[in-house]
Amino acid sequence: MTVLNVSDLEVYYETETGPAQAVDGVSFSIEEGENLGIVGESGCGKTTLAKAIIGILPDAGYINNGSIEFKGEDLTELSEKQRRRYKWEEISMIAQSAMNALDPVYTIREQIVEAIETHRPGTGRVEANEIVQEMFELVGLDQKRADEYPHQFSGGMRQRAMIAMALALEPSLVLADEPTTALDVIMQDQILKRIGQIQKEINSSMMVITHDVSVVAETCDRVVVMYAGQIAEEGPVEEIFGKPYHPYTMGLKRAFPNIRESDQNLLSISGYPPELIDPPSGCRFAERCPLATEKCREIEPEAHYNNGLRSYCHYADAIDDGFRARADDPATWADTEAARAIRTMKEGTMMEGND
Amino acid sequence: MSKASFVVRRVLQLGVTFWAVGTVLFFLFRLMPGDPTSFVVSAQMTPEARQRIIESFGLNDPLHVQYIAFLRNALTLDFGQSFHTNEPVRDVIWTFLPNTLVLMLTAFVIAYILGITLGVFTGWYRGTNFEKGTVVTALTARSVPTFYVGLIVLWIFGAGLGVIPMSGMGTSGMDGGWWSRIFTTTFLHHLLAPAAVLAFYYMGYPLLIMRSSMMEVLSQDFIDVCRAKGLRERTIMFKHAARNAMLPILTAAAIALGYAVGGSVLIETVFGWPGIGREMVRAVLRRDFPVAQGTFMVLAATIIILNFVADLLYGYLDPRVTYD
Repeated sequence: MTVLNVSDLEVYYETETGPAQAVDGVSFSIEEGENLGIVGESGCGKTTLAKAIIGILPDAGYINNGSIEFKGEDLTELSEKQRRRYKWEEISMIAQSAMNALDPVYTIREQIVEAIETHRPGTGRVEANEIVQEMFELVGLDQKRADEYPHQFSGGMRQRAMIAMALALEPSLVLADEPTTALDVIMQDQILKRIGQIQKEINSSMMVITHDVSVVAETCDRVVVMYAGQIAEEGPVEEIFGKPYHPYTMGLKRAFPNIRESDQNLLSISGYPPELIDPPSGCRFAERCPLATEKCREIEPEAHYNNGLRSYCHYADAIDDGFRARADDPATWADTEAARAIRTMKEGTMMEGND
Repeated sequence: MSKASFVVRRVLQLGVTFWAVGTVLFFLFRLMPGDPTSFVVSAQMTPEARQRIIESFGLNDPLHVQYIAFLRNALTLDFGQSFHTNEPVRDVIWTFLPNTLVLMLTAFVIAYILGITLGVFTGWYRGTNFEKGTVVTALTARSVPTFYVGLIVLWIFGAGLGVIPMSGMGTSGMDGGWWSRIFTTTFLHHLLAPAAVLAFYYMGYPLLIMRSSMMEVLSQDFIDVCRAKGLRERTIMFKHAARNAMLPILTAAAIALGYAVGGSVLIETVFGWPGIGREMVRAVLRRDFPVAQGTFMVLAATIIILNFVADLLYGYLDPRVTYD
């Protein structure tokens, strides 16, 4: 069963110079029990996407077009009041930084009980406390500490408390926004494993938003790679990181250390994502892409389907292992429009310095 | 450090502060030009009679003897007798301080309830016309001196429309104790204008602090989580955002209340309110050292004690506060 079906979603932010198209025509779906990863660099719209799905866009943000169907019900059509019923009960979130995601003036128990009482008004105090106890056990926290305040918890414990709260109502979908970025690697691993176990127990789906490719590789079944508010590529984890068809995925993959090939140099993709207020008409990645041609700069790419992947690149069908090998070489990435522009700029400043 | 030893240490600090304030006051008045006897002594008096009066006040003793006597008496809350009326200073304070407190507290409570509430709403509805209008009003209220607003209010509503009394508390000549006198319509009628003028002035401070504190709290991640939890807007606004935003304002409120009592001079003078601020000014003009020292001491004590209360309050309201 499809839990979430996002189609052609556009989320804009009102700015003084016009709307910023933070999410621009994104479509994907999540099946029951499935984990979907959303990866991309900062500002690519992944957090905005999550906020739109759970319904907590800031005042300046609005859904311009498209739909968010949750179990067949289009959430964008609902009133604020109707929408509240879905929050936490059906869709909950693990916030970006657990450090500040809990209210400092209430105990952990009070905050979890508040979620329970808001959505299940009939629940008695005893029953609510049982849920708290159960959740604390599930995330591996000592339930004696439920009456402590967030500042009395360590970073890892706070993250566990956040997860306990997110799962307290056994939601069908959990949005985890950078669930482990604030933690050290060992804690990160423990937390991810724990989330995986709990999820199996309550059979919930999860959308993991991160810029860390390794987190996705460890937890997700499928991945959406986002770039500048749009989907670059989407498909099963093994395919995306094994045989991608989009140059951006190749670059992103090589920007993170790989345990198996430890002697490889990390690669950096020169340049920055385009402005979202007045984005370029063609492929948004063109400026930073070693494959880019005149066509890329003018025409927006359609979806190309290869090997279970959906890739938004004009040349996806032509990409072969030969190109993938070339894309592994940092030298290839030195030959993009953005890289050349940066070199010219640097030379310019050096010449000025010589005068 | 435990909470108990924190309190003990703060109490000891209080003692030192009181001593310092008392010492400064004692020497300050004696450094002041002017002869304290000039008001009680008439020109026709013989030099002997004048000397007797000075002696009876202890003013011919060496300064250090006077100082030690002052400190010893202050320990028992005895500030001596008025040079002017011979009344014990304690009685003078008891007569005038409650009048000041009832005016200040009324104004203060109204100002803080209104100010905090408006601050919560302006912080929440940021960028709306309601917010802009309220902020401009608050800034105006903060910037215009109370005595000026007081005079205008007296001019329009007192002299012009005749709906408020021009001066005083309206209770002189009434029977019964102080409490029974202040719960009369006459008294409340006299209280209305000065309390309103003061409340309008005090309101701006909590409003503006609350607004900026709210905006800071609202940008934090836990507010997003509250919204994601599906809590009602009012619940997020008051139970979570305002509760967190209140923390800086409570300390500010306790301290501001101290200054409000201390700053009662102007408004009491304008509205002829028989409070301790007005009495203090009179005592200083008459070089009535004991009354001036006593009233100053009371006002300073109010500020010092309310600072102390603010410290304790903060530790109680914010679980993150540690005592070291």
